[in-house]
Amino acid sequence: MTMRKVKTSFKVNGKPVELELEPRRLLMSALREDLGLTGTHNACDTTNCGACTVLVDGKAVKSCTMLGVQANSKEILTIEGLAKDGNLHPLQKAFIEKQGLQCGFCTPGMIMTSYWMLSQNRDFSDEEIKRMLSGNLCRCTGYRGIVESVKYSKDLMRKKGGDTE
Amino acid sequence: MSESKLLVRGAGKYVDDIKLPNMLYMAIARSPHARARVLSVKGGLNQSDLKAVVGGGGEGWGGPINPASAHPVFAQDTVNYVGQPVAAVFADDRYVAEDKLDEVEAEYEKLKPIMTIDEALSGSPLHAGTKSNIITQRWLGPDFEDPESPVVLEDEFSVARIVNNPLEPRGLIADYDGSKLTVYISTQAVFGIKDGLTSTLKLDESKVRVIQADTGGAFGVKSALYPEYVIATYAAMKYKRPVKWIESRSEHLAASQPGRGVRGKMKLFANKDGKVTAWRGEVLVDAGAFGGSAGSMSPFFIGMQLTGPYGIEKAHVLATSVMTNKPPQGPYRGAGRPEAAFFRERMMDLLADELGMEADEVRLINTTTENFKSPLGLEIEASRPFFKQATLDLRYREKAQSEKAGLGFFVLLSAVWGGESARIDVQEGKVNVWLGGNQHGQEHYVFVKKLLNEELGIPQDIVTLNNGDTGMLKDGVGTWGSRSAVVGGAAIVSAARKLKTQVENKEGNYTLENLLKGNYTSEVFENQNVQLNSFGAVLATVKIDKFGMVTVKECAGCYDVGRALNPKMIESQIIGGTIQGIGQVLYEEVVHDAEGKLLTKNLFDAGLPIAENMPKFTIQIVEHPSKMPNHARGLGEAPTIGVPVAVVRAIERASGKRIRHTPVKPQELLE
Repeated sequence: MTMRKVKTSFKVNGKPVELELEPRRLLMSALREDLGLTGTHNACDTTNCGACTVLVDGKAVKSCTMLGVQANSKEILTIEGLAKDGNLHPLQKAFIEKQGLQCGFCTPGMIMTSYWMLSQNRDFSDEEIKRMLSGNLCRCTGYRGIVESVKYSKDLMRKKGGDTE
Repeated sequence: MSESKLLVRGAGKYVDDIKLPNMLYMAIARSPHARARVLSVKGGLNQSDLKAVVGGGGEGWGGPINPASAHPVFAQDTVNYVGQPVAAVFADDRYVAEDKLDEVEAEYEKLKPIMTIDEALSGSPLHAGTKSNIITQRWLGPDFEDPESPVVLEDEFSVARIVNNPLEPRGLIADYDGSKLTVYISTQAVFGIKDGLTSTLKLDESKVRVIQADTGGAFGVKSALYPEYVIATYAAMKYKRPVKWIESRSEHLAASQPGRGVRGKMKLFANKDGKVTAWRGEVLVDAGAFGGSAGSMSPFFIGMQLTGPYGIEKAHVLATSVMTNKPPQGPYRGAGRPEAAFFRERMMDLLADELGMEADEVRLINTTTENFKSPLGLEIEASRPFFKQATLDLRYREKAQSEKAGLGFFVLLSAVWGGESARIDVQEGKVNVWLGGNQHGQEHYVFVKKLLNEELGIPQDIVTLNNGDTGMLKDGVGTWGSRSAVVGGAAIVSAARKLKTQVENKEGNYTLENLLKGNYTSEVFENQNVQLNSFGAVLATVKIDKFGMVTVKECAGCYDVGRALNPKMIESQIIGGTIQGIGQVLYEEVVHDAEGKLLTKNLFDAGLPIAENMPKFTIQIVEHPSKMPNHARGLGEAPTIGVPVAVVRAIERASGKRIRHTPVKPQELLE
């Protein structure tokens, strides 16, 4: 029942990787199971929840909605790629400080979607932030802490770049 | 449970992140029918391999039941809900395990399912060997002669089933080395899982260790023992290889234990001034296909809380739990408390309308000025001082006038019974802690560090709260029922004081230096035989558009937490619980068709609230210390109790339609 595997090369968090992937294998599985990047979470399999969100060539993508082979020659950024030299990204710091999480399971996806939002380099209203987070589900926080975290991370970034833990 | 600083890096270790060498993945073949005779099952592990029934453990365990209605691990002669486990297949890869489900062949003869409480009461028994579909039934409170009352009101209400849907699905790894079994699991209660596995599979408990993996939310659904856990464990022992099972979201929606699913008939007797003198009630719980889940006990728990914060002198309630062809009912955040509050507070609003009184007035007149024990067994402290102040703080009168606000009063009965355990180890200048209850998003490490610092002066950065582990504690209970800061906190204080005595005995006096230079272990089990509760009041305002779509504008709440051990988390818990309360009223419901097939098959259908559903929050924390050594009171479930009550009343006032159930659908609100 196993399928012929296809050689797939892409970059993850700046590092080139090469995998032999069954065509049906989801990008999420390739990241989690084949590359051990377990920060990308699987919570629904049906592209409802956004816990598996990563950046593909700079765009936020739910990695359960894309095949691993489709990542060929693309650049992927996962939650593991945000902290640099032990320094948390301002978003990560903001999520801690503004109680953007409880159980932490939706958190990597929330942060990656928020990262894409910040990459747009413009200010969003609260309503816009909520709308952009509407593809990411959180069952614990009621979302307010997450919206506050996104806003606070912008403040942190204005002050300086990353910050130490 | 990893701390937030790891979780934001994606560096948590949830059970699906754990990979053991030579591990098998399990997939479960499930019943496509709500009710059928099983004619044959071929392929995988199935009924011919294991005849056991699911045993007890955790919050979801409803106690001993008639064996004829127990949940079989694998379906035997019949299947009784869509999603019931029938067979299990295994492979080195999870994609291949799912492929192998095609190898399972089961033949069924379909039977007409029982899908409602009424059908359960009038229909023939689901299970051979039982006389009816009633699992449990009991009268609460002494009967009384109906008083001659100027006001007698009667009505019927219902709360639909809701799937818990923590973002992390259920899952475990069972690993057997030929002698010892180690289970890594996403759970609220390692000891419940251990007891359940041990009793179901008749294992030697000294050879079983259950370790909690980081747990991505639960809301009650991860305390019970499930058939899948037993199957994975059985398979690990049979194949002598580690077995991992992670459910899909569709499996969670179909076959985990949902909460709610309760109906209530209420009748009150009152004076013209609004004082309620007597209460009659009937509580009916749709417990699903088998006895033994929390559904077997929840009607009693709901029934005993029906008088809430009010001093109602006479009350008599019939509490009944029935079986239907749906998955067994379990606890969902609040677990009976929200249902009791919904039934009671709906009646108080009916009474206010009947007498033309304000909602706060009719409630306040029924609050108590001293401690009160209700005829149903609920013990409360004087409730009037809290609610009088809360009504003012919430600016109810003003908002009732200007924005047609709804109001709800409630009691949160914290599940302190059974107590909790704690262990503190000091070694090489580091402090390691274990609790019998297992955090899954509540940051228990914050109150543990704070209390150890207060009791023993231990700096917070040398303390680690480890994940739940039956190998590290003799016994323990679990995290549910708004209990952990209260009873876990009390156990920590007690273990810390014991540790202090140990140091004093060895060194002559206690200093931090004396503590940290030695090696110590202090373990306690703090039992609690008290009723401990807290009060809360919620106000809500809504707007309704021309399509009947409701938007909650504001949710304001006043919550007594006893002592705010972790203020940021308290606020976050209130906001999260508020959204869940709104979800219950506006969006969330488990829907089956008449054949028993599940219609709410993904997270959108299930109605999980999204960021855009967030109202404005106003939160007021009251600290009225409890008698516990750490002064805490329960909180976690509070908003899910109070919010639906207030939101429903606000919808009622804005729409002019009487609301008797949740969820409220837009079409009901249109002219």
